[in-house]
Amino acid sequence: MISPKHRILPTLIVAAAAASASLLAQPASLPNRSDSVKFAAIGDNGTGDRPQYDVAQQMVRVHATFRFDLVIMLGDNMYGGQSPADFVRKFEQPYAPLLTAGVKFQASIGNHDRPDQVSYKPYNMNGQRYYTYTRGNVRFFALDSNLMDRKQLAWIESALRDAREDWKICYFHHPLYSNASRHGSSLDLRVLLEPIFLKYGVNVVFSGHDHVYERIKPQKGIYYFVSGAAGQLRKGNMEPSDQTAAAFDQDQSFVVVEIAGAEMFFQAISRTGQTVDSGVIRRQSSRSD
Amino acid sequence: MTEAPPRRIRRWRATFPRLSRFALEHLLLLPFGASIALVWVNAAPESYYRVTYAMAFAVNDVAMMFFFALMTKEVVEATAPGGVLHPWRRALLPMIASIGATAVPALMYLRVIDALEEPMLALAWPVSFATDIAVSYFVARLIFRLHPAIPFLLLLAIASDTLGFVALALFDPTRELHLVRGILIMAVAIGVAAALRRARVRSFWPYLVAAGGISWVAFFLSGFHPALALVPIVPFLPHAARDPGFFVDARATARDALSQFEVWWRYPAQVTLFFFGLVNAGVPLHALEPGTWGLPMAVVAGKPLGILVAAGAALAAGLHLPHKVGWRELIVVGFTTAIGFSVGLFFCTALLPPGQLHSETSMGVLLTLAGAPLAIFTAMLLRVGRFAR
Repeated sequence: MISPKHRILPTLIVAAAAASASLLAQPASLPNRSDSVKFAAIGDNGTGDRPQYDVAQQMVRVHATFRFDLVIMLGDNMYGGQSPADFVRKFEQPYAPLLTAGVKFQASIGNHDRPDQVSYKPYNMNGQRYYTYTRGNVRFFALDSNLMDRKQLAWIESALRDAREDWKICYFHHPLYSNASRHGSSLDLRVLLEPIFLKYGVNVVFSGHDHVYERIKPQKGIYYFVSGAAGQLRKGNMEPSDQTAAAFDQDQSFVVVEIAGAEMFFQAISRTGQTVDSGVIRRQSSRSD
Repeated sequence: MTEAPPRRIRRWRATFPRLSRFALEHLLLLPFGASIALVWVNAAPESYYRVTYAMAFAVNDVAMMFFFALMTKEVVEATAPGGVLHPWRRALLPMIASIGATAVPALMYLRVIDALEEPMLALAWPVSFATDIAVSYFVARLIFRLHPAIPFLLLLAIASDTLGFVALALFDPTRELHLVRGILIMAVAIGVAAALRRARVRSFWPYLVAAGGISWVAFFLSGFHPALALVPIVPFLPHAARDPGFFVDARATARDALSQFEVWWRYPAQVTLFFFGLVNAGVPLHALEPGTWGLPMAVVAGKPLGILVAAGAALAAGLHLPHKVGWRELIVVGFTTAIGFSVGLFFCTALLPPGQLHSETSMGVLLTLAGAPLAIFTAMLLRVGRFAR
């Protein structure tokens, strides 16, 4: 599973205080409750190659019993040509069963994506580089980490401030925390975004860009996931640090998530259907609460 | 009796002190700031970003106003008798050449970026227009000494940068333009500057504070980059009847408002360039991605090619190249004008907010400094300028 050079043992972390977040890292299956928010997260997927199709088949297999109705796309949704035929081969075909079943894809833009993807209807971006939407008690914020200009920063701040949902989840392409050696953490973005995330109580952040899976230990109370291997893969690229809670870089992967009340269950699944990471996160008490 | 040193040594001694003075006064602080930025961002990136982001607005949107004002001052003086822009017909061929010097690199940049599969970087195409006038002038003087290619290069660089500023204003991916608002406020600024000129106000301070202040507000509220706010105001400052020379510093005893403006702001502008380099040139080494190479490849290949193509079209239309300027000199000029450095960094920062795209493009701008050794090497190969036999 994990590269032999960097074996990571599963650990159990117990919350020290009532108000702080706790993380149970022992494998936990998704409870699959009827009233929960269920979604999948894929990043760097749009290669059109066999592995992307394999991952998509795994997603369909999981969807048969775990009926997620949302897929968040973490950028680099398309590689190479981006003609209409490419959109068919690299998106509509691999995910056809999910699209037919009514699963909604909500994309964010990566550095390999053409700017006009914001207008591609199945990505549901409605022409916006950054936007927000809700599912149950979860508010999602899809950001454009390519162009983090002052206007977007002001928008993020006001959108987070106005959000009333229990969970605030942000996702964008470039990870604020990553221990893959190819790209690593985007420190310039971290300096801009982390203070805003902390101020307004963001709970979880998903990113792609590094073609691995990594779960980061909570950083100042916020959970970070890198899931950039739903099509692309950089085998052996992980260099786990003391920030790394779990990592997988031997095969493509995606993440499925269930948010039920104050708990977020997650499962990272490989291209071959193996569970490479799972756990549950208890919602942090927000600074803005 | 001791023999006089050979003529070429006497010439070098005569040239070198002036060039070294020019380098000291115009070229050192920006690279110094950029060097500190490069070391700092790679040693302690979070602290670098935290400090420089806090300074960015003051440096890029306010202080840089004075640097561009001084550049405008050079251009304004060049329109006076004795200047490279006088009469205006002299500028015609370089202006035509600048179309080639900008269009060809931009098209090549887009093609290279497409081949590298980095479509988001296509937003930075105006950066390919940029030429660092001061560094290019310094390199050109090293190669050509006092050659007709020098004024040609200066005019070409000015025209290319002007086209770049226009492209920046029209194609900025993140700014929304509010033209009506900007034009109305700008009209007030121009009115104030014109009134001061008509009243023969000799001090530059009213132009700077009153007209310049209103102009800054106009630029800021309209969506155009406010660092250019003094560009439309500087031409209203009364100036000397003759151009003392491009990059020739005004005397402290000069009486005209434009010269006094330069005397007052010359060194603060250099300090501004230090901070500009510090704030904008901090590029982490891991920003050296495939997309980084798009810009240097496009300008190093595209500028000489574009100039040759455009000059060829101009010649076919009946225009003439300056005396002693042929295709070999044009190629060397092309490599020299590929150096983007300060203007390239400015375009990059104006177009791209912090993030990977900005880092990759900034790294590409720094790599355009390769135009300098390329120009010198090509001049040696083609026996151009001081290497001519």
